Amino acid sequence: MRWPPLAVPCMESTDTMPAAAIVIRSLTKAYGGLTALDHFDLEVAQGSIFGLLGPNGAGKTTLIRILTTLMRQSSGTAAIEGLDTLRSGLEIRRLIGVVSQENSLDRYLTARENLELHARLHGLGRRLYQERIDALLELMGLSGRQNDFPDTFSGGMQRRLVIARALVHQPQVLFLDEPTTGLDPQSRRAVWEYVRSLAGSMTIFLTTHYLDEAEQLCNRIAIMDHGRLIALGSTQELKDRLSGTTVYEIEFAGNDADQYAGLLGTMSCVVEISRAERSVTVTLECWECLAEIVTALNGASIRRIALKERTLEEVFISLTGEMVRE
Amino acid sequence: MMLRGTLAIWLRDMLILRRSIFSELVAVVAYPLTMYLAFGIGMQSYIGLVDGNPYGLFIAPGLITMTAVNAAYNESVWSLWFHRRVQFTIESYRVTPISVSEIVIAKIFTGFTHGIIKGVAVGLVIFAITPFRFPLEHLFYYLLFLIPASAFFSCAGIISGTVMDKPETIGKVEAVLVMPLIFMSGLFFPLSSYPVDVIPWVKLLPTTALFEGARRALVAGEIQPAYLLQVVLSALITFIAAVVIFRRKMSE
Repeated sequence: MRWPPLAVPCMESTDTMPAAAIVIRSLTKAYGGLTALDHFDLEVAQGSIFGLLGPNGAGKTTLIRILTTLMRQSSGTAAIEGLDTLRSGLEIRRLIGVVSQENSLDRYLTARENLELHARLHGLGRRLYQERIDALLELMGLSGRQNDFPDTFSGGMQRRLVIARALVHQPQVLFLDEPTTGLDPQSRRAVWEYVRSLAGSMTIFLTTHYLDEAEQLCNRIAIMDHGRLIALGSTQELKDRLSGTTVYEIEFAGNDADQYAGLLGTMSCVVEISRAERSVTVTLECWECLAEIVTALNGASIRRIALKERTLEEVFISLTGEMVRE
Repeated sequence: MMLRGTLAIWLRDMLILRRSIFSELVAVVAYPLTMYLAFGIGMQSYIGLVDGNPYGLFIAPGLITMTAVNAAYNESVWSLWFHRRVQFTIESYRVTPISVSEIVIAKIFTGFTHGIIKGVAVGLVIFAITPFRFPLEHLFYYLLFLIPASAFFSCAGIISGTVMDKPETIGKVEAVLVMPLIFMSGLFFPLSSYPVDVIPWVKLLPTTALFEGARRALVAGEIQPAYLLQVVLSALITFIAAVVIFRRKMSE
């Protein structure tokens, strides 16, 4: 599959977009000879759930570390709610909540004490943070285990506790760095529900390796590789832009698959063809070619013709390649 | 600089200490007490008087001091390494609105507090089970040494825990640097045992200033200003170094 050259529409008109919670301009980070981020540009709208995808080593973690003020860029600018990451680190850290890849829970403190410590680090008053912690433990389904130590929790419960910790101070921007890695399907879905329940109340910036997670949760998705932004849009926009081709699966009722596969293969509008038992899968240049195909199949005993939905994974693989990254 | 973060982290560390205080004290008292029984009682009859004092009395202040500074060093080095490399809690602190300096100062205070508490515990045990006695006002002079010394070793622990990523390296540094510095600084024998040419060099060590100065303060009630200044300056220099090194490491 081909991905046509395109201008990445990351700087869309601000007339139609809500104000940006995150603005990144020409952000570059080099470690010696390695460029982890290469003139990266991005805007994330306030209140949206934004997904950042990329293979290992694409630069996602470097980007999150710069945005959360844990690391300084080599050049370019990044701003959170209008505050520059280089000059206003302390102010930015008041506004953000961070769920890192590692749980980073304090195993010597109970679940409640973990939340209390972070509330104190954020300078919250005791009465205020006790109320919020009660509410968060309830929301995350951890009230009954609040006096237990995180080591006794399942992976899903630990993840929920980390998310609760990131929410104690009611952040305006929440960074979730691979929040469901290593969780079972039930726990993943539970985390998705919590993330969805936050939608609109804050901006959520999510990185994940799970493409279904991005598809389920995110309003907009960016795909990056080799430190550069290579695609940006909604899930549907990204799928629609996958080289413009359309894939149909034709299932024959009889034993005509071989004969018609040969015939379809000679047609100029068919880009690619493959056959499996009684089915033939054809990739057409455009959906308008379907009429020609139907005409060619006149007289054949056909059980089903189905449009094959593109998946986000296909888009991702077409953009970043199939080679396994170190 | 606000010290809200320092206070929050220090209170967290004190909560953990409070929960494990009994096992901590048993472990920390056992080592110097064994030393005292083995050397102070076992060797006393062979050694006789040292600087005019029975050998047991000679080593008692050093054992208290050693316990305090060892506790300060060990708490700082292992706590920082564990929070940085295993539990990743340092990173979770760093995304809150506190400065890196607040984190490192909290850890220095924690090491310092461990040192003082454990030193006092060992002192009380030695006081209870041995004939070692001193006038109460000498305790004040002694603390003038012990407080900056605990801070010095706590800062040294912070530096080690910051720059060393492997636990075995931490153990090696303790074996080849920290323990020799403590043992060769007149803890178990008077400095006069060294060859004359070596003594001036040994006196340059901050640990010599600490053990010699602290002993004289506790036993004789004497303050040696040069020794005290040396200990205070060492604490100050390692404090600045610890903050700078930790900040630099965190920005990598």
